Amino acid sequence: MSIKLINKDDVKEIDFEENITIEELLKKEEIPIETVVIKQNGETVTEDEIINDNDEIEVIKVIYGG
Amino acid sequence: MTSNVCTQCGYEHVVIHRKQNGQRLCSTCFRKSIEQKVLKTIKKQKLITKGDKVLVGLSGGKDSVALLKILNILKEKNIIELEAVTIDEGISGYREEGVRIAKDVAKELNIKHHIISFEDKYSFTIDKIMEVESQEEHPQHACTYCGVFRRQIFNQTAREINATKLATGHNLDDEAQSILMNYLEGNINNMVRIGYKTESRDERFTQKIKPLREIPEKEIGLYVLESGFEVHFDGCPYAHESFRMEIGDFLREETLKHPTIMYSTLNGFEKIKPAIKKDYMENHTGKPNKTCIKCGEPSSQDICKSCKFLEKIHEKLA
Repeated sequence: MSIKLINKDDVKEIDFEENITIEELLKKEEIPIETVVIKQNGETVTEDEIINDNDEIEVIKVIYGG
Repeated sequence: MTSNVCTQCGYEHVVIHRKQNGQRLCSTCFRKSIEQKVLKTIKKQKLITKGDKVLVGLSGGKDSVALLKILNILKEKNIIELEAVTIDEGISGYREEGVRIAKDVAKELNIKHHIISFEDKYSFTIDKIMEVESQEEHPQHACTYCGVFRRQIFNQTAREINATKLATGHNLDDEAQSILMNYLEGNINNMVRIGYKTESRDERFTQKIKPLREIPEKEIGLYVLESGFEVHFDGCPYAHESFRMEIGDFLREETLKHPTIMYSTLNGFEKIKPAIKKDYMENHTGKPNKTCIKCGEPSSQDICKSCKFLEKIHEKLA
């Protein structure tokens, strides 16, 4: 499966073998979870949410540092 | 799936999972919880009383936008008067965005808004100072000048509009950082001054209050986004690697493993503060209140820090 990850001006497609959670995605991408808010297909979600095929995941940084 | 159900109202989409207490909240219940917590802090700590005129320092960043929105609840109930002040330091490519957002938010909430620029008030910008400063052998950091001038403008504006309270958007992260930094640096003089409100010995200083002091920074970011406000998250170009940033990163990292650590840092400090303060103040009497002979502002010396800096800068720019 594949998703679109938007991190400000950085937009990329990522492929996965199996379903993972937002938390696992952020760990893989080395994005500090404690400094961001995540939108999944335009809706704010918690880090426990499971990512589905073709999802659009937007990372919004709300804290400097990290 | 139970993990996506609001523990408050049962709505089937949550925006936050609070590890510190197990709560999962939908957007509406989350926003309500933040507003209730802040209003409770205001009441419990007696930060605001009926009839107060509150001036908010509105940078356009998430903290001050959230603060203005929440204090507006009290304004709409005719409990307080509310105005906002934004300071334009003249930082090209950074400050314009904050000023624009501040204007938009104040307009939307129908709040009287003052915008004061370094350029108009002092005839220079931070950019101009730093351009000259960069030629120096040991350049001063932008924050040194910025902090002193901003404080002066806040105090003066508060006095000019007869504000009884000056509210700032300091959050739980900011406060936990300040407490830890002062412990580690052994700076008891600064430590005893950390609090919900200032206790100035000089009545010419408007009392400063921090209503967001118990709200984690990340939750403020989420509150602003869920309230439909735009926030600029770009850092200041003059921001530098600082001790505060190191401490901030450390505390956030620890919070992942120990979700209540910032709350306990703050609460523990509040418990021991009266004892430290009593002991410390007995041995350190405050500086006498003087008046700056140049500008008439309250000062601990004959010439205030701001006027000393102004003299130095105008010499350099001449």
